[in-house]
Amino acid sequence: MSAARNRTPFDAGRAVYLAVNALLVAFLLAPIAVILVFALNPTPYISFPPVGVTWRWFDKFFSGADFMNALWLSLWIAACVLVLSILIGGASALALARGNLPGRAWLTAFFMSPLMLPAILTGLALFQSYLLAGLGRPVWGLIIGHTLVAVPYVIRTTLAVLHNFDRRIEEAAAVLGAGPIRVFFEVTLPLIRPGVFAGGVFAFIVSFDQFPVSLFLVQPNGETLPVVLFNYMKFDLDGAIAAASTVSILMALSVVLILEKLIGLKAYVKL
Amino acid sequence: MSSAAIRLERVSKRFDGRVVAVDDVSLEIAAGEFFALLGPSGCGKTTTLRMIAGFERPDSGRIHVGGADITDVAVHRRDMGMVFQSYALFPHRTVTENVAFGLRMRELPKPEIARRVEAALAQVALTGLEARRPAQLSGGQQQRVALARALVIEPRVLLCDEPLGALDRKLRQQMQFELKELQRRLGVTLVFVTHDQEEALAMSDRIAVMDRGRIEQVGTPAEIYGRPRTRFVADFIGEINFLESEPGAAPRALRPERVRLAPPGEGRVAGAIETANFLGGSTLYRVRGDDGRLLLARETHAGDRAPRDPGQRVGLVWSDEDAVTLER
Ligand SMILES: Nc1ncnc2c1ncn2[C@@H]1O[C@H](COP(=O)(O)OP(=O)(O)OP(=O)(O)O)[C@@H](O)[C@H]1O
Ligand SMILES: [Mg+2]
Repeated sequence: MSAARNRTPFDAGRAVYLAVNALLVAFLLAPIAVILVFALNPTPYISFPPVGVTWRWFDKFFSGADFMNALWLSLWIAACVLVLSILIGGASALALARGNLPGRAWLTAFFMSPLMLPAILTGLALFQSYLLAGLGRPVWGLIIGHTLVAVPYVIRTTLAVLHNFDRRIEEAAAVLGAGPIRVFFEVTLPLIRPGVFAGGVFAFIVSFDQFPVSLFLVQPNGETLPVVLFNYMKFDLDGAIAAASTVSILMALSVVLILEKLIGLKAYVKL
Repeated sequence: MSSAAIRLERVSKRFDGRVVAVDDVSLEIAAGEFFALLGPSGCGKTTTLRMIAGFERPDSGRIHVGGADITDVAVHRRDMGMVFQSYALFPHRTVTENVAFGLRMRELPKPEIARRVEAALAQVALTGLEARRPAQLSGGQQQRVALARALVIEPRVLLCDEPLGALDRKLRQQMQFELKELQRRLGVTLVFVTHDQEEALAMSDRIAVMDRGRIEQVGTPAEIYGRPRTRFVADFIGEINFLESEPGAAPRALRPERVRLAPPGEGRVAGAIETANFLGGSTLYRVRGDDGRLLLARETHAGDRAPRDPGQRVGLVWSDEDAVTLER
């Protein structure tokens, strides 16, 4: 009797909790569903409601040389950005959390806050710098631009892990005979790896999806996918755009799943 | 396993140049001794232990282990075992890998590592859990892994910082027996930090009682309990009555079990029982004397005598030889 009464508020709370979560997921996934509907709709312009199902927009996307070159360039750049951001971001986070930098509290607050420089300013600044230095628009310049925007994500996720890091674990390794270098590779690195790679996933997506920085830095015939799509949309607004978006989403999802499979982002997370 | 003596020579440590965590501490710990550092929170026990381990460097003073000055030797070259209060197990490694770590750092051959890990796990009754991760173990099991990991390298010295602090009372008591037995069997020098006086009294060969970074008294459990030298030690260990003394004279103290409850009219103080704390084998009474002072008396329960009720009038009897004279 009293047990039943005690359970009522708990169950009501749980129902509200589940309902809010379901709404939230629906809200987040709805745009993706809409894009998929547009990508499969055979009308020659984007319209609603759909009148049938077709693969022609996917065909158009995968058989277009412009699209394919841009897709591969974007993937390739995103892969470079992933590696660079992990290295730079991981090392920076360690320096911020452990080092004796002047102004380290200020820097940490800066990187942890969501208020960072708008990417468009980064793009403009780099564009002007390259111009002044007479460098033109090399691909590595684009990679640097993307990396600049992506590194803070890795710093942030790594700092979050370092913040909760129990340094006694490193001390335990030291007392057992591990010198500073072995402590780093045997204990520190394996324990911060999930944070670093989680940031790496963000870095990949930030680069793959990057528009404002790329807009300033791409070469006329070496455009990344978001720039190509933007240019395409200026003249045609057909299902190929939706198909390309669908493919982009699947790419991003695959990267997350592959990294999860390879290194197990969840491995050390207690649920 | 060859154990080593430890000597602290006028060791001091302050943090941020203001807090004096350890203040001019000198200690001699014999090889093979079970030695407890006991004191209230913040008195500098952990800092003392961390200086012996090498995690903190003393501001002044020297530390010797096995006759050699190790003050400037790096942590990983000191050849000590340490058990942390939080256990500090490697969460990404299995039980076997945790225990094997120290042997792997010593670059021993694989078969020897396997053999010694197996023996160490058997020693702490963990056989069968080799493949588990720390998160899949109970608190007591984690504690044993930490112990096996520290002991498998056959250290000269085993340092324990409140190793049983996170265990519930029953398990804690069982581990006290096991740890004591293991230490005796291995003959390792063990420095044991605790703020639990019962634990220190039960386990140690000798105890150093610390207060505000200083050592108040060093002695066997019986000495510390029976002959406390200072008011602080007397008060910190068990229950005690401070007796009134002439102004300027040394303070005197009396353990509650030395006070006998007698019928009213007998003894030096007449009063009434204010509270009765039933402790199982004995009861601790707080008696309010008619002159207003409070005194503690402990009565053991011989046979099936029930505890006395609060409000009952009693007389308190003790003899002068049972009172301890304190230095300050
Ligand atoms: N890294 C540090 N930085 C600054 N102050 C510290 C540091 N470590 C310890 N202290 C200070 O030194 C004093 C002694 O600390 P210590 O940890 O040795 O106490 P303890 O006896 O182990 O206490 P507890 O029983 O609470 O663990 C305390 O005042 C503490 O605040
Ligand atoms: Mg402590």
